[in-house]
Amino acid sequence: MIGIASTSAASAASKPKTITLQYWSTYNTADKEASTIAKVIIPAFEKANPGIKVVSTIYPYADLLNKFIATSAAGNPPDVMRSDIAWVAQLAKQGVIQNVGGLKAFAAIKKNALPGPLLTTEVNGKYYAFPDDTNTQALFWNKADFAAAGITSPPTTITQMLADAQLLTVSSKQQYGLGVDGTDIWNMAPYVWSMGGSFTNAKYSTATGYMDSQATQTAVQTLVTALKAGYIGSDFQGGASAVSGESGFPKGQYAMYIDGPWAINTYATLSPVPSYGIAMFPSGIGGSHSTVGGEDTVIARNGKHIAAAEKFAEFLSAPFAQLAMAKQGDMTSFKTDSAAEVKATPSYKIFAQQLLTSKIRANSPGYSQLDTAWSNAIGQILAGGVTVAAGLASATQLANTALAGS
Amino acid sequence: MVSKVSTSLEQRPVVFPPGAVSRRRYRITRIATPYLLLLPAGFLYAIFIVYPIFRQFDISFYNWHIFPGVHNPFVGWSNYIRIFHDPAIRTAAFNTLLFLVITVPIQMALGLFAAALVTDRLPGRGLWRALIFIPVVTSWVVVSYVFAYIFAAQGGLANAIVSIFVGHTVHIDWLAQTWTGNAVIWMVSIWKGVGWSFIMFLAALDGVPRDLVESGRVDGASEPRIWRHVVFPNIRPTVVFVLVLLVIGASQVFTQVYITTGGGPFGSTGVLLTYAYKQAFSFFAFSYAAAIASLMAVVVLGLSILQIHLTRRNDNL
Repeated sequence: MIGIASTSAASAASKPKTITLQYWSTYNTADKEASTIAKVIIPAFEKANPGIKVVSTIYPYADLLNKFIATSAAGNPPDVMRSDIAWVAQLAKQGVIQNVGGLKAFAAIKKNALPGPLLTTEVNGKYYAFPDDTNTQALFWNKADFAAAGITSPPTTITQMLADAQLLTVSSKQQYGLGVDGTDIWNMAPYVWSMGGSFTNAKYSTATGYMDSQATQTAVQTLVTALKAGYIGSDFQGGASAVSGESGFPKGQYAMYIDGPWAINTYATLSPVPSYGIAMFPSGIGGSHSTVGGEDTVIARNGKHIAAAEKFAEFLSAPFAQLAMAKQGDMTSFKTDSAAEVKATPSYKIFAQQLLTSKIRANSPGYSQLDTAWSNAIGQILAGGVTVAAGLASATQLANTALAGS
Repeated sequence: MVSKVSTSLEQRPVVFPPGAVSRRRYRITRIATPYLLLLPAGFLYAIFIVYPIFRQFDISFYNWHIFPGVHNPFVGWSNYIRIFHDPAIRTAAFNTLLFLVITVPIQMALGLFAAALVTDRLPGRGLWRALIFIPVVTSWVVVSYVFAYIFAAQGGLANAIVSIFVGHTVHIDWLAQTWTGNAVIWMVSIWKGVGWSFIMFLAALDGVPRDLVESGRVDGASEPRIWRHVVFPNIRPTVVFVLVLLVIGASQVFTQVYITTGGGPFGSTGVLLTYAYKQAFSFFAFSYAAAIASLMAVVVLGLSILQIHLTRRNDNL
């Protein structure tokens, strides 16, 4: 009896203790994104790192940030989180995520990362995240709607896009020429930037002279005019009865709209698969600029297993994970994987090209507040409550407060 | 009989145990007992009410971070100054004021009207009392969700009713428009709150001397004159009490706004507390949110003092 007990005690002592990492994300469960991380990436990591087990939990987008902050304050956060790039500065300001700039592995990651995604991890010269995936929006155009209107190719300029939108609008079919999926910066920035407007200065310290500039006003006025003329659909102003671009586009309800690479996988599951093309966002006087999107991997500052968390974050940035997730719509954030990614998924070529001129949103802790100020002002302008100039002036004042508080 | 019993109880001689020490111990026990009995409740009150209030005031003077150990710089009155320069808070303040101005008088008027009806020997008085009071004891969250479903753009009861009248299916997005959204918030608040005013007025009306009312009627006074000169003077303390508490409650409106419209569209139905909540839990501007809440607390405290002042003045009349 004593012999058995001592043998099992020795075996327990020699067996390495298993570490369980908690990994939180917002992976899409409707397509293969969530199953790829659960069935391909995590098992591969666990195989390469015996003794580390990863428990993945997927939350709705609207809940994840608050849950992370709340659990961090309570001293019980997940070890790793896949964070929207727009949250990183806010999390860094709250002091809830690790500064990863000093890690040995980060030097190579920094060198290999695409400039846009890398910028999203940097706050006041320090790095708080590993770039994970990147994306941008390009112009999706419905080939059947275009053919019915006698238009043979997608627009290359904003002027042409608005002219096409007029031709493509068929009120009797509830078909709109253009879908704009909301009043927030993610959805409106391509129009604003491409028409020469902007939101803040390069240091994200002021919105005065940018958000309320003449070029920004012109860009907003252009969209307001198109909405009033009936060329833009219900998705712009939102509400319960609004039809999103991704729902309306395959049914021909929106002849054009902007979306990211994930839409390709979504449309591939439809029957019949809609006939559509993807083009660069049309150019205006400012060029053709879309918005850099994507996610970064952050490590909780008071997580229980920092070293293991760093290993997992590094693994997610490595080619195996990057290329596997790229097939599910999460484009790589790394230079060395870009060519392989486009080769594996040729439809990403246009997004990779668009990324070269895409811009990041204000990488500031005050971004959420700035975005809300902008979005609310545009909503009030669209509702006719205020003029474009007055609405943007008010948004600028709020944006300045948000940036100053940062 | 009752008064005799109570008198005899009050005059019951206190029997001290023999000895000076025992007498002192008895006196101490007698003085300490109520405080000891209050101690658990007082402890909970201090932990869950008093401390958070003081902590909130404290946080409002710092640039406070939620993560323990992060430096929180002292910023003085800047969060309070920001309130007066924040254009977005004006909409929230206006909506709060509008909510107060609309819902408080309607709740009082409906509550008083219902109480007057039920007082005057209405058949099934108990049933009516229960029916009017039931909304008060239901959950704000449940009621708000029920109203959100009633006014849903797709499949909502309100649209179904409108569709019957107009002869075709309508999908009015009640909650996504400023005025209809606000109207739903007012409606749910009045529906749920009127029962409380009703109960208060019912109790007050029961206390109005019947003989005075009957004397007025015998003397040929009209009903409005009886209400003006007999009933109102008697229920005035209750009117003041209900008014002040409803004003305090209205200034703290939150749940029904948060659940039905979420403050939207574009912040146009937001109120002060939803604005403060958003500052704290969407933008993590905890100190600014604390400043808004603290300023509101001061205003509510002012209203409470006003209540005490008005009721005291009334008592002295």
